[in-house]
Amino acid sequence: MVFAWTMVVIVLAFIACLFEDLESDEGSQSNPNSQVQLAPEMGYIHRYYNKAISGEGLSYALACTIAGTVAWAMLSKGITPVIAIPFGAGIGSLVHMIRATIPHLGRESAHKRFEQPIYLDVLFGHLVPIATHNFMAVVCITAIAYIQSPSGPLAAITGLPVAANNPFPLPLLCFIWGITVGAIGSSTGDIHYGTERLFQDRPFGEGRRVVYHGQICRYADCGIRTSKDVVAFCAKYGGPATGLTFGLIVLFENWRTLIGMMAGGLTGASLNPGVAAGVGIVIGLIIGAVLIVGNLYLVKWARKKFGPFVGE
Amino acid sequence: MDPIILVLILVSAIIGGILASLGVHLLPVGGAPAAMATATGVATGCVMLMTGSAVTGLFTASAVASFWEFEHANIALVALSGGVGAMLMIGWTMLIANLLYVFGAGIVPVSGRVAVDPITKESQTEYKTPRTDGHGMPNVSYISGMIGGFVGGFGGALIYVTLENFAHFSPATAGIVAIGIFIANAILAAYNIGGTIEGFHDPKFKERIAVGLFAAFVVSLLCGILVVVAVEIFPSLGLGGAL
Amino acid sequence: MGEEEKAEEKPEEKEKFTLHFPNENNLAIIAVIAGVIVSILPVLPAFVKGIGAILVILWGADSVRKTARYGLGTGVPSIGVLAMGYGIVGGVTGIVIGSVPALGGGGIVEPGVLVGVAAVGVVGYISGILANNEKFIGMKIPGLERGMAELGMAGALAVIIESSMIAGTWNAAVVIPEIIENGLIALIFILAAFGMLQPYNSCLGADERRGRTLLVSVEIGGLNCIILGVLASLIQGMAQGVPLIALGAITWVLFYSAYVRACLNEAHSVVGTGLIKTMR
Repeated sequence: MVFAWTMVVIVLAFIACLFEDLESDEGSQSNPNSQVQLAPEMGYIHRYYNKAISGEGLSYALACTIAGTVAWAMLSKGITPVIAIPFGAGIGSLVHMIRATIPHLGRESAHKRFEQPIYLDVLFGHLVPIATHNFMAVVCITAIAYIQSPSGPLAAITGLPVAANNPFPLPLLCFIWGITVGAIGSSTGDIHYGTERLFQDRPFGEGRRVVYHGQICRYADCGIRTSKDVVAFCAKYGGPATGLTFGLIVLFENWRTLIGMMAGGLTGASLNPGVAAGVGIVIGLIIGAVLIVGNLYLVKWARKKFGPFVGE
Repeated sequence: MDPIILVLILVSAIIGGILASLGVHLLPVGGAPAAMATATGVATGCVMLMTGSAVTGLFTASAVASFWEFEHANIALVALSGGVGAMLMIGWTMLIANLLYVFGAGIVPVSGRVAVDPITKESQTEYKTPRTDGHGMPNVSYISGMIGGFVGGFGGALIYVTLENFAHFSPATAGIVAIGIFIANAILAAYNIGGTIEGFHDPKFKERIAVGLFAAFVVSLLCGILVVVAVEIFPSLGLGGAL
Repeated sequence: MGEEEKAEEKPEEKEKFTLHFPNENNLAIIAVIAGVIVSILPVLPAFVKGIGAILVILWGADSVRKTARYGLGTGVPSIGVLAMGYGIVGGVTGIVIGSVPALGGGGIVEPGVLVGVAAVGVVGYISGILANNEKFIGMKIPGLERGMAELGMAGALAVIIESSMIAGTWNAAVVIPEIIENGLIALIFILAAFGMLQPYNSCLGADERRGRTLLVSVEIGGLNCIILGVLASLIQGMAQGVPLIALGAITWVLFYSAYVRACLNEAHSVVGTGLIKTMR
């Protein structure tokens, strides 16, 4: 049972981070936003959505914590989790959507002297996609936190020497996973958006030089690009890769803890805590070593295949 | 409360804070330019990355600490679990970020601050795009980041386990107080490095590390004193139960 | 969607929705007085505390604005999170110290909680010196020492006031089980942090204006009151929760619409749709 619930958590984690990254691309949140912010100052008037709520980690911590709190309050009133979790996530993404309107208006009107207009169709047209992508991410995170929390199904599994759930309460778990999912989404998924999609009219296969900064690609396959066009592009590589990151992290974190618990006697009458913790740590260190070797191989492969920089 | 335990809490807050600061200095953080492949490192702010990894470690550490039901948890094992959890989080993030650089943008991970990778001895300069500050996570930055994640996660989990075990805080209280002390230190360290750093091979690291660790020492000493005061006073209120 | 209407309203609405905020020093004094009064008098009804919380968060947002506008090197939100990092440590310490009966804990006026606030102000000031002094980190931001001290105090006051809004008191006997062990402290952390860090981050730009930025902070304060009001009605009952929700809803609607109108008035132009200016 513990393994089955862990698999559910991992699948939810993959979906959560996939949608998290796509949602941040939807309105150019986090780091690539610096280019969307810079563009009008360079004379590049654009039709991107400027969603500088805060870093992704914090804005997801906000949405997920509100969702977790509402779900927690409803659960404490005896409402079934099937209703409480989506309802909480709905409130969380509603707040997120309200927060998302503020920066577009504020930052675009602060670009008055660069003659950047506020396009109302850009403002209204992005709100629902932002809310829906956010809802998918938040509902998954809230469900993960619920499964792992002391009020969730993992805690209800009896017959184990220790409780299989995490001791943190539901809102705090939502906060923790919200920060983590945002941190991962901004550090991996943004690369595909910032490096490739925002500078698609620049040469492929090189770092974006400082002189390109602010000179973003403003035209879509047909017409003028809005942030909605970005999502379709990033959904092909950046989003799934980001989802994979969070899924793998949750997978290996839970897997090594569970293997450690099995080695310490999960099915027996009592758990040897020292063995359980130690085995988990050793497995984690082995995974870490494999990761370093993987990166060595990847960098070596890229150097051999791509070769030294050519061009000016 | 027993003075030895108070000293233990203070010392672990100081060590945890210093390790948090050291972890931030070791992470390869490129900030906003890294998202455009203009700087080496992970494409996010160091505060978010370090906090994200440390709370992942804290999640595992809290589960591991609950293995010990009726006795004091083993501090070293719980803190190590937190460190390894944070290390794995950073490791996967950097590996997949590199995959995105290589296959999504066709870029070779390369350092901008050193000419030769100090670990693998691969030359860097001719692979670097001119007028950028490097891009991606070269091996030295990757290893530095793994160490940084481990150290930071260890620090965060150390504060947590001491508060939970010896000050008898409930898991949630210990967790949020540990996050508070951790974040304050991580942010001062982020200000110290000015937003971007490549890892321990970066000249900035040698230049700034002493100041950063001193600032972390002072701040975590002060925060630790506040926590110790709370731990000392709380039992005298006669409320019973755990803080 | 009413784009046309909003665009047409523009000439007559000009300057009408501009709120004149007191200057930085006066705002700090007002916020400190309000924050101190509502935190040492936990018997006050929740919506009065809500006003105090809004003012304290507004003060924090103003401090973020005046420190972050010189460029921090790692993004505006970091300093708001720093405020709440200190705020959690100072707030929990203040709650425990304030509950000591010798310091007035359990009475009507409970001044002991201010010890935690003052202590975290000192911690903030020292970290400001560390960050700003050339011998240490050397950020060279004018007024960073004061800014960090203010942020620490605002964070601690926000934690204390928001806890007492939900639970009716910040006494450790109630707050520790009801707020902290239930994890609601994470909600308090992130709500107060957003009130401080989002306004300046979201309004950043060449033509940023203080009056407009601070409207966002009050707006977030209103939104916070709605969410905390729901929790207050769960824990303390409807009599405390409903006025708080009403206060939050009124504040939110007023300031959100004021902000939107201010932005639409002050933007270069507001168009329903349109092509971009070509330059090449």
